[in-house]
Amino acid sequence: MNIEIATAPDVRDVDVPKDAWTQPFWDAAERGELLLPRCVNCGHFRWPPGPFCPRCRSQTVAWTAPGAGQIYSFTILREKKDDGSVQVIVPALIAFPGADGVRLIASIAATPIDHINIGASVELSWSPAKNASIPIFRVT
Amino acid sequence: MTGGWRKPVLRHIFSVQPRLWRYGINTGQAAIVGVGATPYYFRGESAPQTIYELIGKAALAAAADAGLCITDVDGLAFYANGFEPGLLTEMLGIPEINFAATVAAQGGGSAGILDLAAMAIETGRAKAVLCIGACQQSTRRYGLTFANLVATPNGIWSRTAGLTGGPGQTFALVARRYMHKFGVRREAFAEVVMASRAYTANRPGALRRKPLSLDEYMASPMLADPLCRLDFCLETDGALAFIVTSAERARDLAQRPVYIAASAHGGSGDWGRSFFWLNMPDAMFTSAGAEHTARRLYQQAGIGPADIDVALLYDHFSPLVILQLEDYGFCRRGEGGDFVQSGAIRHNGAIPVNPHGGHLSEAYVIGMTHIREAVEQLRGTAINQIPNAQFALVTGGPAPIPVSGAILQN
Repeated sequence: MNIEIATAPDVRDVDVPKDAWTQPFWDAAERGELLLPRCVNCGHFRWPPGPFCPRCRSQTVAWTAPGAGQIYSFTILREKKDDGSVQVIVPALIAFPGADGVRLIASIAATPIDHINIGASVELSWSPAKNASIPIFRVT
Repeated sequence: MTGGWRKPVLRHIFSVQPRLWRYGINTGQAAIVGVGATPYYFRGESAPQTIYELIGKAALAAAADAGLCITDVDGLAFYANGFEPGLLTEMLGIPEINFAATVAAQGGGSAGILDLAAMAIETGRAKAVLCIGACQQSTRRYGLTFANLVATPNGIWSRTAGLTGGPGQTFALVARRYMHKFGVRREAFAEVVMASRAYTANRPGALRRKPLSLDEYMASPMLADPLCRLDFCLETDGALAFIVTSAERARDLAQRPVYIAASAHGGSGDWGRSFFWLNMPDAMFTSAGAEHTARRLYQQAGIGPADIDVALLYDHFSPLVILQLEDYGFCRRGEGGDFVQSGAIRHNGAIPVNPHGGHLSEAYVIGMTHIREAVEQLRGTAINQIPNAQFALVTGGPAPIPVSGAILQN
């Protein structure tokens, strides 16, 4: 039996809506950097990026690299394509021990599905959307 | 094997207040006096009726059931974005409206319409509130919720991760984490579905009635691993309506009154946007987000989980039944899988759940069928009657806040 490989969903036609609070994330993504907003006042990471720290209500953030991520949970979707083939898509939640409380909703790609487990360490790469680079992850 | 689960030590985890009078501390002055429903249709099969035609039929049936005329209605309560009050009053010839409100939720607010209705009655704002829930999924398919969403800066992540379907895909993330954390197996989810199917075997109006075996469950195609098609609720067209009036007036009407002993809509802020957010604190992630509502309801009614005779739990996805059993204190955190597999939710179990077959096997009208079943159980007229049922718990969907619930009493 063939080993199923998770692949990233096709997002080339996705126009990512941005606002003043999410723009720095996408700017960093264009440079190939994953940065998350951390409250300058209390150190709390907030997600998604927004105008207030939910812990202290401060507005000021420092965009901070969170370190390596791990799989918090995932699901497996099998999508039938027009040519009859099946694409295996694995949407996941990526947690960062260095950024407590943040879970990115992102897909796992380029990984055999039997290697995908809760707690597995992942490394970052990028998938092109119409106007943004989308973070995707591979099990290391 | 189910007796050991009854009367658990858990009762004390909810700070139960002594009951001040028969119907609770600050509610019980309102009662459900009328129930009306259309037949339940598979998605698309209610055509050519419009959704307002379905609503009208349910509303007229509810008034007739109560022994009232639709013109006695002077209040409207909705959830899930509601319906047009003006169109309803024109269509049904309702002479005046003194209250019209919508719970600011989708399916999470279903039981919350009883909270709005009770408030309107208890404060004297309205005399008879018509509560309405309806869906016609040929025009608005809930399973494609995410695809239908207008992309926002905060909401684009589901799309870019490939979650283009609906809440079933994101609740699959919750289910897998729960299985991982507590060693729960798919057999537990299967039992929730099989139990619902056992209840519909004798229900003519139910949309899925064939008994279900574990082998058949396991053969069902995976839609969002670990959730298979049978873990997902039905897609239904239909409408239900309820009439709520004062307890005093209820005693003179056609049916045995069913009192609203407790009702709440709200929730913990940490639950937030729920399956649209998925950043709930770790302990809350593997819950149904209902602990806050559970505490409020038990405090209002002055009772605990051991006093509930039948639970009508919003079952859009089978694992959420198990998580609600934990949130509402019927079993301990993480033990919900073993609890259901002990037979606890069956007709003679520790806490019968959804004897109408729920959203999984009877019909999905966004929580409304659960209220109907609670009323029938407390009138003593249910098809799968729980003997001597006195208290029924009804929940709204595990969904973005406000979530909701109610305890009804005869």
